[in-house]
Amino acid sequence: MPGVGAIGARCRHRPRRSPRKSPKAEPGPAGAAMDAAIWIYQFRLIVLGDSTVGKSCLLHRFTEGRFPGPLHSDPTVGVDFFSRLVEIEPGKRVKLQLWDTAGQERFRSITRSYYRNSVGGLLVFDITNRRSFEHVKDWLEEAKMHVQPFQIVFLLVGHKCDLVSQREVTREEAEKLSSDCGMKYIETSAKDATNVEESFTILTRDIYELVKKGEITIQDGWEGVKSGFVPNVVHSSEEAVKPRRQCIC
Amino acid sequence: MSVMSEKDSSENLKEEASHEDENEQKPEELGSTESSEQGEQEHEPVPMTRKRPEPKPPSQPAATEKAPAETLKVSDSLAASQTGWGYWGSWGKSLLSTASATVATVGQGISNVIEKAETSLGIPSPSEISSETRDATEGSENPGDSSTDAVDDGTSFPIAGALGVLSTISTAVQSTGKSVISGGLDALEFIGKKTMDVIAEGDPGFKKTKGLMNRTSTLSQVLREAKEKEEQQTATEVTMATEKKAHYGLLFDEFQGLSHLEALEMLSRESESKVKLVLNALSGEELDTLKEEMEQLREAFSLAEFSEEEEEEKRGDEEFTKEVTELFSELHVSTKPDKLIMVRTSAREWIAQFNIDLSKEEEESEENRAESRDGDHDAKKSVEDIHAFAIRSLAELTAYSIEMFHKTAALFLHGQKKEVTATDRAKSLSQMTIVLCKELSTFSKEFTTCLTTAGVKEKADVLNPLITGVFLEASNSASYIQDAFQLLLPVLQISLIEARTELLQQ
Repeated sequence: MPGVGAIGARCRHRPRRSPRKSPKAEPGPAGAAMDAAIWIYQFRLIVLGDSTVGKSCLLHRFTEGRFPGPLHSDPTVGVDFFSRLVEIEPGKRVKLQLWDTAGQERFRSITRSYYRNSVGGLLVFDITNRRSFEHVKDWLEEAKMHVQPFQIVFLLVGHKCDLVSQREVTREEAEKLSSDCGMKYIETSAKDATNVEESFTILTRDIYELVKKGEITIQDGWEGVKSGFVPNVVHSSEEAVKPRRQCIC
Repeated sequence: MSVMSEKDSSENLKEEASHEDENEQKPEELGSTESSEQGEQEHEPVPMTRKRPEPKPPSQPAATEKAPAETLKVSDSLAASQTGWGYWGSWGKSLLSTASATVATVGQGISNVIEKAETSLGIPSPSEISSETRDATEGSENPGDSSTDAVDDGTSFPIAGALGVLSTISTAVQSTGKSVISGGLDALEFIGKKTMDVIAEGDPGFKKTKGLMNRTSTLSQVLREAKEKEEQQTATEVTMATEKKAHYGLLFDEFQGLSHLEALEMLSRESESKVKLVLNALSGEELDTLKEEMEQLREAFSLAEFSEEEEEEKRGDEEFTKEVTELFSELHVSTKPDKLIMVRTSAREWIAQFNIDLSKEEEESEENRAESRDGDHDAKKSVEDIHAFAIRSLAELTAYSIEMFHKTAALFLHGQKKEVTATDRAKSLSQMTIVLCKELSTFSKEFTTCLTTAGVKEKADVLNPLITGVFLEASNSASYIQDAFQLLLPVLQISLIEARTELLQQ
């Protein structure tokens, strides 16, 4: 099944001229300043999955370094927002805008509208909840329908891996599903902070590589990828934007 | 003025049934837009899928460039223009003016406006400032004469108005202590008023800004652009850490205010087009009754003016929490305004702590005045610290208010049905908006009082922009909240329509 995760399915080839040479070192005072405003790209990522699989906890752990715990487990209303910077290469930072969607069916019409402007997504299921795993394909289908005409890079996340004894989904079958759909698979635990950092970094790196290769391009009116303001490395953002005009799809 | 804005929006609603312009949509968008609009409920409609156009209002540079020329004129007529907050829109008095002021400020870049305000306040040249301040500080050592001198300066030379007033405050506070602070507040308000006037005078009738607002179409876009500008500035200049801390736009975004505003706008537009569809499908008596009901709902959305005296009265600390919690429970939704209350409480505590520290210090400095004067005040909060905290608190409070509105809207649309009418919900929300704006106003006063007290020894050109900045951002915050509140109207119109349909089906 050629899942939505299949990368570059509708790729926008562009002349292979810019990718490598673009962002060099960050010289000058800017490199030193750990300034929140300095990042080379901004990616919008969406977090999907059934209700109660732990999407919000995953995001709280990733952005605030804490696990909210059972006292703060009100279901998400509509959509919530988080953001964080990730350093993908020394001196190169990507700002992640994270959209935490409600898993509840009644908010589906709201969450649907967020697919389109996302460049990547974490598709989360709960390894102790078989149904949530079975719904992964439905989520992919739904995303595929609403992401048009853009593409979205997915990472399959088996959450709550601290609860080994209650496991209802084996790693093998999850890996099988993910590779069938052209995704990577990772098991995480927001409670123990296992692989939380890794999951976001992997997804961000994969997207970054696609952007560098030109398989994902910045486009007007699409919020998925934006170039940031980098002093002294302005070429990078300019070059990233420019090729779009020459792009013939 | 509020009447005008109401009419505006009601006309919009009627007219927009036929036109689609709003923002310059690109051809490829139009396709998806139109098809989904007809598809009603199933494919989620227009606004959700619509691309956000890059906010690049063409008129903006012109407006900014024009500013300096106009300030000259303003400064001449400084004494004459005593219109003040009321005229400018103050805290929720006029939706129209606040909405356009939002754009005026944000569009021009906050620092520009402050600069502009400074110029027109009649701040003299740097050399004059330094001599004035020297006078003032020297004077403070022998309180008796100097305070009267300073007062004279302030009144007899209106051109040096602001500075005169400020040095009066400094001297007065130093010599007589706390009793003068209330007098000082008037002066601060005066400065605030002037700032607002300057903005208003720069664009009489807010024609330009209103036009700008229409073209760029949404508040979040305007704000996003402002934020991006700030980002660009910060990134290129790599300014000092203190300055970065006090960028309202960046902070507002950091607290996810922009995202929630954008999300709220999406819900609002989605609802708006659904309302249009319903209205188009109805006719005759049915249509008339619905229109009548919607009119009542709209009335609940016109914010009542709140009187100055009421604003003056000191509100207890728990009152805000109590009021907001009660109003929120009247909405019958499953979320709580916890974040909002939390950030508000911690800001309150910060101010209280500041005042405690201050009174302690006063006691100490009574004893060894001479030492503390040139001694290190590192433990004490600098004016930059206070300013940064004030801006941060305002941004945070505003962001959470908007988050609250967004969540409320989502629950109105997709929550469980409750036994509360749309109009009642509108009334509670309207009351909530007023409470929030009042709170912002109170905060701005308290923060600027902190600034004045802490900045006794600062020069006017250091202190004034900070004070103006706090007033300005507080006023902006109030505008954002009011604008966000207005976005809930179409959402509640949907609630109203749904309730009616249910009733008819029974």
